[in-house]
Amino acid sequence: MDRRKLLKRTGLAAGATIMAPTLLSLLQSCQSEDRLGWKPLFLDQDEAQTISALVDTILPTTETPGALDVNVDVFLDKLFAKTYDKKSQDKLRADLQTFNQECIDQYGDTFSSLTAADKQSFLQSAETKGGKFNMGVWGTAVGEPQTISFYRSLKSMAIWAYFSSEEIGKHVLNYDPIPQEYDGCKPVSEVGNRWTF
Amino acid sequence: MANFNIDADKQVTYDAIVIGSGISGGWAAKELCEKGLKTLVLERGRMVEHIKDYPTMNDDPWDTELRGSLTPEQHKKHYKAGRSGFIGSDTEHFWANDEENPYTEVKPFLWIRAHQMGGRSLLWGKQTYRWSEIDFEANAKDGYGVDWPIRYRDLAPWYTHVEKFAGISGEALGLPQLPDSHFLPPMELNCVEKHVKSRIENQFPGRHMIIGRVAHLTEPLNGRGKCQYRNRCSRGCPYGAYFSSNAVTLPAASATGNLTIRPYSIAQSIIYDDVKGKATGVRIIDAETNETIEYKAKIIFCNASTLSTTQILLNSKSKRFENGFGNDSGELGHNLMDHTYRIGAMGNVDGFDDQYYKGRRPNGIYIPRYVNIDKQSTSDTFVRGFGFQGGGGRSGIQAAANQESFGGAYKDSILKPGPWEFFITGFAECLPYHENKVSLDTNSLDKWGQPTLAIDCEYKENELALNKQIQIDAVEMLEKAGLKNIVGFDNKHEPGYGIHEMGTARMGRDPKTSVLNATNQVHAAKNVFVTDGACMTSNSCVNPSLTYMAITARAANHAVAELNKQNI
Repeated sequence: MDRRKLLKRTGLAAGATIMAPTLLSLLQSCQSEDRLGWKPLFLDQDEAQTISALVDTILPTTETPGALDVNVDVFLDKLFAKTYDKKSQDKLRADLQTFNQECIDQYGDTFSSLTAADKQSFLQSAETKGGKFNMGVWGTAVGEPQTISFYRSLKSMAIWAYFSSEEIGKHVLNYDPIPQEYDGCKPVSEVGNRWTF
Repeated sequence: MANFNIDADKQVTYDAIVIGSGISGGWAAKELCEKGLKTLVLERGRMVEHIKDYPTMNDDPWDTELRGSLTPEQHKKHYKAGRSGFIGSDTEHFWANDEENPYTEVKPFLWIRAHQMGGRSLLWGKQTYRWSEIDFEANAKDGYGVDWPIRYRDLAPWYTHVEKFAGISGEALGLPQLPDSHFLPPMELNCVEKHVKSRIENQFPGRHMIIGRVAHLTEPLNGRGKCQYRNRCSRGCPYGAYFSSNAVTLPAASATGNLTIRPYSIAQSIIYDDVKGKATGVRIIDAETNETIEYKAKIIFCNASTLSTTQILLNSKSKRFENGFGNDSGELGHNLMDHTYRIGAMGNVDGFDDQYYKGRRPNGIYIPRYVNIDKQSTSDTFVRGFGFQGGGGRSGIQAAANQESFGGAYKDSILKPGPWEFFITGFAECLPYHENKVSLDTNSLDKWGQPTLAIDCEYKENELALNKQIQIDAVEMLEKAGLKNIVGFDNKHEPGYGIHEMGTARMGRDPKTSVLNATNQVHAAKNVFVTDGACMTSNSCVNPSLTYMAITARAANHAVAELNKQNI
């Protein structure tokens, strides 16, 4: 169970200084409980839940695997831990907090605790905010850079993590590590999904 | 492979020393070794043997822990070169350590270095174009810089010579401003590129859009395999399909039995003998032991890369050359040039949603220069010219992320190929300005206690005018080609981004105004040759590597002839 919900339910959300041993152990067991199914390297449990819920809402399981099926959340946490410097990590934490605060303000709870319908409606609104990615030339964006929202930035990372996963790369996209030839005009109908990177 | 001479310091005397093992150094080594000279190649970095030392060459994205991303420590190690946007965990090991090799940006300048056997020949873009008569005549005609001491006809046979061995794919067009090479079959344009080509060529008579001419094999050559369209080149090619020193020239040099490569050998200075009136060898610092060693040779080829060569020459002071080796003219370190970079336009192409391609082609399109090539195309706002590279493809992650959508149907839709995008980006010629220069900075030392370079270079009025025209023309061409959502761009990159740095030890007719003669010999010390980008007298607007190869082969053959005649 979500610790925040539990706190609310037990009336301990605000200012409780003394906890009954049973409640304390209940809370601790919640914290150490394997709610994520994986142990984050950088994110705390609440942050990890937010990331998991976000990538699951953006790229859910359908007939093809979803983001959680290929551990996009686990990989993003690893990126935050191993490729972000302290400044970027702090910014990510602040962005996540702001994102969840907006959820609380609008729907009364953090993103991961919202109903599916509320998640949808919150992200629909997030989609309309902030700038878009410019096109790039050889790995670098061109034109006047726009301010990209935390949501769109995370969405982009989630798509990358999803596409670059082994399951999607090998079994969902078109895996062709040694194409041998270049065919400049090939009907999409003969290929289907994108080529794997 | 070659005799590595990692600890064979008993032998210190060779016929020739080549400083550097990149594109030009590899060619110098091959030509000199094949002419029978016992040749020592000094490489400041580690050995990188073809295939054996390409650890990431077959990795899929998921094979590496961070799927190409760098750690903060790696970013710090490449705090300068990282600006290029080209460094990923798959190639990180081939980029020089900026922390150990600092330089000072008096004005912003991106200096990209690769310190290992093969140098930047492992990482280069493989675009290979002959320079034209227009390029070699440019300085004489408009008066900027000094006249080239050679013309196209001097280099033409050497272009052919290197092309036959390197393997250049492309299409012959017979354009005077972009002479044809000895070509292997061209790579193919994709559907959208063919469409854009026909629109541009119809709407703009005199302009051409062609497949890039590249040092990728489209047919097997000399035991090397042809391109497999993986586009994982910069990790090293297991097929040897693209030209690198490691795959092509150094193995050929090694096969003669005349090659010795000494890794971890930082050329500290060239030794000049006042009595003999010529250079006698090269003083190196062993990068691992810090030991100083002197190697002797009859001739010395400087191929450390444009700025590193000049750094060595500036650091080679003697009674005769108080201001740097061969610097009687005062031009050593001056006239630094690069091509302007990332100015152009891009947009989407409608009507080809049912078309795709197969293979990851390591090449794009090229639009040869069309301004200032004849009377009709003469501009009254700038001299010289520009060409475009570019290409079309179906978009990737960021276009998918830009869609205002998410969820199951969205996810399934982005598994399909994205919208078609097409871009062109210009490369403009930079004039040789005396005040664009490098100098030795004795206050800032590298890891080995050696003075570093201070780089003081900027684009000026003519380059900015060319850039302005590039963007106008790029947008206009894409508009006329019928693209949608066109964005014109100028990233206003500082010099160095083009990674075509040239000049600082220019060739010329007059020793009073140049460092090198028509055969790349230091005017005042004829047994020292400079045949990397430092020798360039002007900058053209086309990629320079093929010209470095040809100039090097020509100079090396001249060196051997002169040696045989006992002239040097």
